[in-house]
Amino acid sequence: MFDGAALLHLIGIGKGVTRLKKNKTMIVVFVTPAVVMFSIIFLYPIIRTVLMSFFKIEGVTDAMSKWEFSGLANYIKLFSTELFRISMWNIFRIWFFGGIIVMGLALLFAAILTSGIRFKNAFRAIIYMPNVVSAVALATMWLQYVFSPKFGLFKSIGKALHWEWLEKFQWLDPSHLFIALLVAYCFGMVGYHMLIFASGIERIGTEYYEAATLDGANRIQQFRYITLPLLKGVTKTNITMWSISSAGFFLWSQLFSMVVSNTQTITPVVYMYQNIFGAGNSMTERNAGIGAAVGVLLSICVVLIFIVCDKIFKDNDIEF
Amino acid sequence: MKKKILSALLCTSMVAAALTGCGGSGGSGDSAPAAETPAASTEETPAAEEPAAATEEAPAAEASGESLVYWSMWDAAEPQAQAISQSIEKFTAETGIAVDVQFKGRTGIREGLQPALDAGTNIDLFDEDIDRVNTTWGSYLLDLEELAKANDYESTANAGLMAACREVAGGTLKSIPYQPNVFAYFYNADIFEEAGVTAVPTTWTEFLDTCQKIKDAGYTPITNDNAYISSLFGYHMSRLIGESATEEVVKNGDWDNPAVLKTAQAYEELASKGYFSETIESNQWPAGQNTELAMGTAAMYLNGSWLPNEVKDIAGEDFNWGCFSYPAVEGGVDGTEASNYGAQVFAINAKSTKAEQAFELITYLTKGEADALLSEMSVGIPADSNNAEWPALLSNVKPVMDSLTTRYPWGAGAEANADMTPIIIENFTKLCGGSLDAQGFVDALKTAGN
Repeated sequence: MFDGAALLHLIGIGKGVTRLKKNKTMIVVFVTPAVVMFSIIFLYPIIRTVLMSFFKIEGVTDAMSKWEFSGLANYIKLFSTELFRISMWNIFRIWFFGGIIVMGLALLFAAILTSGIRFKNAFRAIIYMPNVVSAVALATMWLQYVFSPKFGLFKSIGKALHWEWLEKFQWLDPSHLFIALLVAYCFGMVGYHMLIFASGIERIGTEYYEAATLDGANRIQQFRYITLPLLKGVTKTNITMWSISSAGFFLWSQLFSMVVSNTQTITPVVYMYQNIFGAGNSMTERNAGIGAAVGVLLSICVVLIFIVCDKIFKDNDIEF
Repeated sequence: MKKKILSALLCTSMVAAALTGCGGSGGSGDSAPAAETPAASTEETPAAEEPAAATEEAPAAEASGESLVYWSMWDAAEPQAQAISQSIEKFTAETGIAVDVQFKGRTGIREGLQPALDAGTNIDLFDEDIDRVNTTWGSYLLDLEELAKANDYESTANAGLMAACREVAGGTLKSIPYQPNVFAYFYNADIFEEAGVTAVPTTWTEFLDTCQKIKDAGYTPITNDNAYISSLFGYHMSRLIGESATEEVVKNGDWDNPAVLKTAQAYEELASKGYFSETIESNQWPAGQNTELAMGTAAMYLNGSWLPNEVKDIAGEDFNWGCFSYPAVEGGVDGTEASNYGAQVFAINAKSTKAEQAFELITYLTKGEADALLSEMSVGIPADSNNAEWPALLSNVKPVMDSLTTRYPWGAGAEANADMTPIIIENFTKLCGGSLDAQGFVDALKTAGN
């Protein structure tokens, strides 16, 4: 856990903190704006969302007088709707399989980039580059070019290498669209998480590696017994960030199924959007209460993930 | 002491900064809605992908309490927005009425309009699809019967569309149509000619015959994209049992209805005879319309009359467009006289204090030169009946539009149940691609409904 007092003490202003604690007025003055803002911007919407999830509400901004109490009906409908179950399965697949791919590649690249290779900055910039390109442009590139069954990059590569399976692989059909989405999304996310891992690795003192080298440990052993254990905290940060971005997975899903959603790409947030603002071009029933219930369920999932992460990655047992 | 003063100063500046950050832009009333628009750049049309499109406003827009405030469904980069901007400039020059036009885009309007209206934002008029305006936002609309009568609006308006506006608004006029559109089969007339197809198919048998001739001539008879493919299902079902019955089937999950299997069997036949594009299952919009229809390798595509405009840069000005209504099927209740047709519509906020001025602007934009300009720039159908000349690319659409007497909603009922739409699309796409047979399609829908 983050210990602010310990940190302040470490950097030598512990005495200042002690003096500040005595000045309660000053504390109140400093804290009040934050508390007020937190209450308005976070607390109120959270309470309102939880409340909304028990009502049938046509328009998201409808006055409370228009809300119709429906008890647990929204939750029951969600769990009995195939499309919502599909969206939950999709988000789990994105989080779990995408997480393994992204974290694995990010760690691998981070380890390579911090191992003293030449052109480190250039490689780092290249791997990070998808993060500075608009997701709309990236998705268009993947959908209309790379995965194209007519003139796609993968098709051309398959042809050049005489790999018939790759040349004929239909990335965008209903059976493979999820894989295509995952590949495209992970491509864009590796660089971001790689940077976090790389900064974590660079924080580890060189003396540990020097000592290990003297003891006869090779690079792989150093990575396994020094880098990995000392990256626990950073890994936790990365998984937390990944979980948050996965839970709110929306844009890529929309881009991979323009106009109307798709069973392979729909996520709970897209499902929520459809229930609040309507689906596709047709006039469909709207219920912001169901949208709110989706939000509550997602929040519970994220909190559970954090609890599990906290249990698995206890990083306070190692100090360096 | 010095530290206390410094602390107090820091605290004051922090609070001031926080308040400044939360503050508005001083009466313009449009900074918050503008912030809602980035989502508009994420979907629907290529034009919507232009980053500038989400926030750009017309040069004429001057946010002042005296201006008419118009929230537009178009993105600033789209030809419709450019035509409207030009016409508004003229309108202001002629009448002296300033207009604050804010191009929100489809998503911006869909997400932002109702919250803005609920919050009392100063919006005098807005536009969107005929169904969404009249149903979703129906309670916010001003009744326009009186204004229309007083201005003799209907003397040069499209009677069918005015009737449609009244129908969706529950019998009264709450919106004014413009940019009419029709949903039908659009085809490459040169391919038809080369294949020896002399008349457009009006029955399913003729349609099958047309497909065979096109295939024999070496072209792909039918293509489509994931965004519109459910309409194939909806139109066939509606031809068989009518649109309202189709909607009931989709909403209630009545997949045992014989029309579902019959529709699936018709499409299984099309697939088995090789009438669909080989890549139909992989066609993510706009791949089918751009790389097959517009490039001249596929002949037919069921879509709206906006299609020629969307692909004109790829297809070229010399692309010979044709259009026909979805064919009638044997034993069906609806024929080629039924289809989805409609328009974008203007509506006036019931709380607007400038309703007459707003109606004046609507009249200006939907008639005469402004309507002709919009039609020309967007390759769209004119709304003013005096503007008899349609864009050349749409000349073959006019007979179809004129022949329609029954109006289907979007997708002819296929997308009436949002919880089923993606499941229908997935399985229908597989059916068209040949990886699922008719019974498999019905079984998949039944399984999903449980």
